[in-house]
Amino acid sequence: MKDSVKRSITVVALLLPGLGLIVGFVGIVVVMAVVQSLGFLNFLGESGFSLHFWQRQLSNSTFWKAFFYSTRMAVIGAFCSVTIAYPIALWLRKPFPGSHFIASMIKIPLLIPGLVAAFLYVNLISHSGFINHGLMAMGIIEEPLKMRNDPWGIGVIILQTWKNMPFALLLLAGAVRAIRDDVLDAAQDLGANIWVRFRRVVAPLTLTSLQAALAIIFIGAAGDFSFQVIAGPIRLNSMAQYMMRQQRELGSWNDAAVVGVSLMVLALIGSAVVAMISRMIVKAGEK
Amino acid sequence: MKINRRRFNTGVLVAMLVVMLVWMILPLALALLWAMVDPDYTWSYPDVFPQKLSFRRWPMLWETTTLKQSMINSYSLGAAVTVMTLLLAMPTAYAFGRIEFKGKNVARLLTLLPMVLPGFVVAIFFSSLLISIGVYSRFLGIMIGHCIVLLPFAIRILSVSFSQVRQDLIDAAKDLGAGWFGVVRHAYLPTIKSGIFATLIVVLIRSVEEFSLAFIIGSPDFTTVPTILFQYLGYAYIRTNAAVISLILAGPSIILMVLLERRLELANPAAEVGKG
Repeated sequence: MKDSVKRSITVVALLLPGLGLIVGFVGIVVVMAVVQSLGFLNFLGESGFSLHFWQRQLSNSTFWKAFFYSTRMAVIGAFCSVTIAYPIALWLRKPFPGSHFIASMIKIPLLIPGLVAAFLYVNLISHSGFINHGLMAMGIIEEPLKMRNDPWGIGVIILQTWKNMPFALLLLAGAVRAIRDDVLDAAQDLGANIWVRFRRVVAPLTLTSLQAALAIIFIGAAGDFSFQVIAGPIRLNSMAQYMMRQQRELGSWNDAAVVGVSLMVLALIGSAVVAMISRMIVKAGEK
Repeated sequence: MKINRRRFNTGVLVAMLVVMLVWMILPLALALLWAMVDPDYTWSYPDVFPQKLSFRRWPMLWETTTLKQSMINSYSLGAAVTVMTLLLAMPTAYAFGRIEFKGKNVARLLTLLPMVLPGFVVAIFFSSLLISIGVYSRFLGIMIGHCIVLLPFAIRILSVSFSQVRQDLIDAAKDLGAGWFGVVRHAYLPTIKSGIFATLIVVLIRSVEEFSLAFIIGSPDFTTVPTILFQYLGYAYIRTNAAVISLILAGPSIILMVLLERRLELANPAAEVGKG
């Protein structure tokens, strides 16, 4: 008994500096956001319990536009990343001459910071960027096209995919490589073509990695600030951008807290829903 | 069938190389060219290449902007965060790697908490906390924030390293009369040193590249390399300056990561302690 108590104390003591700090920190940050969203810790005015800030934001069309815009970008970004990553993971499953080189090249965006990625993209599509130069030199257009800050957020989706596809590939490649050859050979011997093998063997066996990739990419994309500010639509805000505006430009920490809490809920529930939808799609494909 | 497979691979390989060229190489090459546009010449249509290439813009930026101070801030912050994170992660990583206890899987999952919260939410409400408790040192604030958001990476890497330490080595060291320090030095260190090296590099890179905490807590007085890059990309788009700072930010990260990959490929803990 004494030994087990001593052992438990040792484990707790070992976990405190790392895990304890993480749980404490995240807990405090979440509590700060929730408390401020409910009217407390108002740095500029009277503090006290109030649902005023929630009412104000939930009846504000800009809030909802930002909410749905961030959701849309996160869903499309996550699905585009895994859709591109899947065939590449399957293609690179077995090594062949040049496969190692291609795999290394694809990993490059993982090493590039997000802001640098945004610069590389803007450099290509800006008013005096490479694409406009090229199109004008070929005589396809006479005036440069305006592609930066496009109203549909295509630039943001391209950037999300550029940055996140290698991450999805990393997760999916491991899962795809773990599928035994005899399983795939057996399916082929039974007459399954590539598409059927993918639906009935590959997708179900890699479902966990697929869900992890989708959820992690969704969370990152839903909370995006820098891609949106640099390449996103000018008339639309992402949730992080809208939260920043509330705090920086309007000085309202409490309104920013409402947006922050909503963003956390979006990230957690949205990633779970995306993972669930992917499971449903894979299960439907199995039939 | 084999020939078809080979042809297919070659065809896709060529197609992928073309895609890579447009998707990866071209943007990086353009950034390099823009960083080398001579300040006395412009690069505009119909010029396919800059009229004159030089590195003159680099010392100019170093002397006339906050780049120098930003680099000092970024790397001093990175060094402090790296050491702190390593020290804080070690005990938890040891527990995950070497001890079996109830709720270990849940505890492991909980360490990932900072990764499931959007970065800007963490940054804003952490800054709110700092204001509430009266911490106004920007360096200290960012350092604490970085340590905590980077702990999951350090714990993950180090716990794998600790789990690879062979029990017979530990027992042998103890049987031969080694004390606590001797066991650490002869049994643990040879195996976990690759993990320590990986942690140092990963945490340093991530701290130097981190934007949200540095921007929210640091701005406007305390600048880091990512925050001045953001200024050149957002508020006042100066492409040539953004190109130089992009390369300054991404270059060391890429070199360090390649170094890390090579080191980890070469590392063989069993061979290092004379066991195979």
